[in-house]
Amino acid sequence: MTRPNNPVWSGHSCPLLLTFILALAFSTPALAQEKPIALRGGKLLTVTHGVIENGVIVMRGGKIAAVGPASSVNVPSGAQVIDATGMTIYPGLIDSETQLGLTEISAEEMTNDLVEMSDEIMPHMHTAEAFHAESALIPVARMNGITNAVVAPESADTLPGQDSFIQLAGANATEMLLIRDNAMPLNFTGDQRRNKGGFGARKFPSTRMGLAAQLRQAFLDAQDYKMKWADFERKKADAAQNKDKDKDKNRDKEKDKDKDKDKDKDKKSEPLPPKRDLKLEALLPYLEGKKTIVLAAEGPSDLQTAVSLANEFKLKFVLNHISHSQPVLDYVASLKVPVIVGPIYEAPKEDERYDAVYSLPAQLYKRGVKIVFASYSAHNVRNLPDQAGFATAFGLPYDEALKAITINAAEVWGVADQLGSLDVGKTANVVVANGDPLDVKTDVKQVFIAGREVPMTDRQVRLRDEYSKK
Amino acid sequence: MLHCVWLTTTLALASAAALGQSDGTAHHDIVIKNAIVMTVTHGNIANGSIYIKDGKIAAVGETVNAPATATVIDAGGKYLTPGIVDSHSHIALDDDVNEATSPITPHMMMKDAFDYQDKAIYRALAGGVTTSLLLHGSANMIGGQAVVIKHKYGATRDEMLFPNAPRSIKFASGENPKRVYGSRDQLPSTRMGNFAVQRQALVEAQDYMREWDSYNDKVKRGDKDASPPKRDLKLEALADVLRGKIMVQIHIYRSDEMLTEIAMAKEFGYKIRAFHHALEAYKVADQLAENNIAIATFADWWGYKQEAWDAIPWNATMSMRKGVRVAIKSDSEDYTRRLNQEAAKAIRYGGATEEEALKMITLNPAWIVGVDDRVGSIDVGKDADLVIWNGYPLSSYGVPEKVLIDGDVYFDRSQPGLGTTHYKEGE
Repeated sequence: MTRPNNPVWSGHSCPLLLTFILALAFSTPALAQEKPIALRGGKLLTVTHGVIENGVIVMRGGKIAAVGPASSVNVPSGAQVIDATGMTIYPGLIDSETQLGLTEISAEEMTNDLVEMSDEIMPHMHTAEAFHAESALIPVARMNGITNAVVAPESADTLPGQDSFIQLAGANATEMLLIRDNAMPLNFTGDQRRNKGGFGARKFPSTRMGLAAQLRQAFLDAQDYKMKWADFERKKADAAQNKDKDKDKNRDKEKDKDKDKDKDKDKKSEPLPPKRDLKLEALLPYLEGKKTIVLAAEGPSDLQTAVSLANEFKLKFVLNHISHSQPVLDYVASLKVPVIVGPIYEAPKEDERYDAVYSLPAQLYKRGVKIVFASYSAHNVRNLPDQAGFATAFGLPYDEALKAITINAAEVWGVADQLGSLDVGKTANVVVANGDPLDVKTDVKQVFIAGREVPMTDRQVRLRDEYSKK
Repeated sequence: MLHCVWLTTTLALASAAALGQSDGTAHHDIVIKNAIVMTVTHGNIANGSIYIKDGKIAAVGETVNAPATATVIDAGGKYLTPGIVDSHSHIALDDDVNEATSPITPHMMMKDAFDYQDKAIYRALAGGVTTSLLLHGSANMIGGQAVVIKHKYGATRDEMLFPNAPRSIKFASGENPKRVYGSRDQLPSTRMGNFAVQRQALVEAQDYMREWDSYNDKVKRGDKDASPPKRDLKLEALADVLRGKIMVQIHIYRSDEMLTEIAMAKEFGYKIRAFHHALEAYKVADQLAENNIAIATFADWWGYKQEAWDAIPWNATMSMRKGVRVAIKSDSEDYTRRLNQEAAKAIRYGGATEEEALKMITLNPAWIVGVDDRVGSIDVGKDADLVIWNGYPLSSYGVPEKVLIDGDVYFDRSQPGLGTTHYKEGE
């Protein structure tokens, strides 16, 4: 076996890599892959078509151009061939709920853009508009192979605003925001009650029934708003039609008529548009079932209330958390929707077994529910795969755990044609590690995003290196 | 509904009684055989055995001599480690973590708040934790005195207290005290305020100690007119710190503050046992090693506040290589349930050996707590606090199958709830 190149991940003293990092530090990286790259000799976890020992993966033009056993894949001439012998190669991991780009230092308020607390109904908040592409947290996360993530507002509001789907590398926010407003959380966990106080509560809503009524009213208002606009559009169309007819008529009478009078008549028939309401407008794609609601509940009662609310308005939804809904998992399965489960580190309730939440992914999988994992974090996004690994200790099959942070997530977020597996034609988000992606000990050696080598450095690496010199 | 049928409470309790833990005295001799014994101090023993007598490790090796009457536990070729020691925990205190009414509260005894029925004790046990140091919070520059517990969930309160554990006191520094008191327009609201408050308290303790020393001298000399000074619980505790009778555990983040605390300890003649959190220890590891100060740190937490901004996941291994004793601790009801995974991160970040990583959650935290002569490794004479794992413990996958404390099984994965009634019967 010839080794055409030293692996780029052979050590941080590699001069080639260093040059690469320096080049990046002084230029804005445009995310176009320059020449084809072939990783040769690694173990490929394709996710969709099994494991290929001694495989080759070719990345070209930012896409995966070929995947297969070393014996059958032709490496294009001019490709940079990297020896990946002994390495495990897998698709970039997808974190299905994060606050990346919305926070820097949790306790420092001015660095946080997590949620608007002025009202419980804030669907017109767009995380894409707060997303800070230069956040120091993003390189930390991608260093461990997380290449894509959902950015969601914090869950303090019933409707806190809309998610974004990001890629963790790019020249700027515009490039990194693959999909703006891809989904919207609807939170019903009890934590959205912030005016609690029983008889002392002064501000509506202070209870779950208050939150539900407020939510229902918001969707009713949105339906009404939709009707008003439809009505307006119809009248406008009618008016336009009438105007055309009038024009035809007028053509004959033009000589006899007083033009000014006619103008007045036209003005009267022109319908006025309803006042735009950003809140209600934001709800429309969800009411129309065009976009996904991420329906969050913890226990069985909240879960069923939330689901009936969603059904009342025929919302298209996936479930989120359901950490304490063990008694109703058959009901969950009957809904036939995916579940973003966990975090499985959530403490059990008083009357739950010590492993009630740990085993939830396995219990859902057994019932045929599609599951995905999320870190629900910003600083700890890098630990997403650990959670998937831990779930296997409580009965989740290994392949399903890996799928829950790759292809399942890609399917839930509507990007399975581009992400989530090592398949030809997909975006070349590829991770090279020294072992099992779900094991906490595994060290990620190189991450490729859209076929480009991501510089394997971050703020923490720089501090490490600075203080290692002493 | 869950379709699994769990063992009933009755059966679990019967098993507990059979193992003799319910009366706390009638220990049975036990042999654990067919295990990969990770001793922490003298390597791994493949296919090893342990003989447990009277709750202590009586023998360990490839074969052990044990009476035929001993109960045999076949580990089935699985890994066996010492019980995990969590050197920084606030569980089982029912939210009574901070007496945040004054920055100096050394007379608070965490034992007085210890809620021995807290299920968090059992959940940590299920993650392999057998000993924890329950500390006062970090609101105060000088907080209260810690309690050391063994996770014998289901036993009585007194059985759960680690017998004759040395005393520890919690100091704090940095953002927390200044935020708590600063937000009330009180001293301290700055780091200089923090240290001034701490120094003032220690100066008063010196005076108090002198008064008592002089009284005790008089008594010793037979002076019958000597009258004792008034006892002051606060100053009495601090005087014991100055006398070296209480170990000092300091909540601290920034490296500059670590140097100030070291200087302060020298100024007043006490020793610092460990810096807790210590996320910037890697910047001053030489000085920590020189002063024999350990650290109890997180594996990779960072960024949750300004003083955690320079945290790096290599902190543990970089400090270790400079000769600092390193423990990975939880400071969390959640993380205390999976400290083995947290320790495994030291392998990933900085290439710790298996034994070095394991030491970070066993022998090293035991040293911080001051009980390393009794727990933290598999050595003859030590308490039989042991964990049998279903898989390799330093991974995402290893979870405890059985946890023994003082030779009794307190957790058994096949019968969760052993000795307790905290899960629903027949669920």
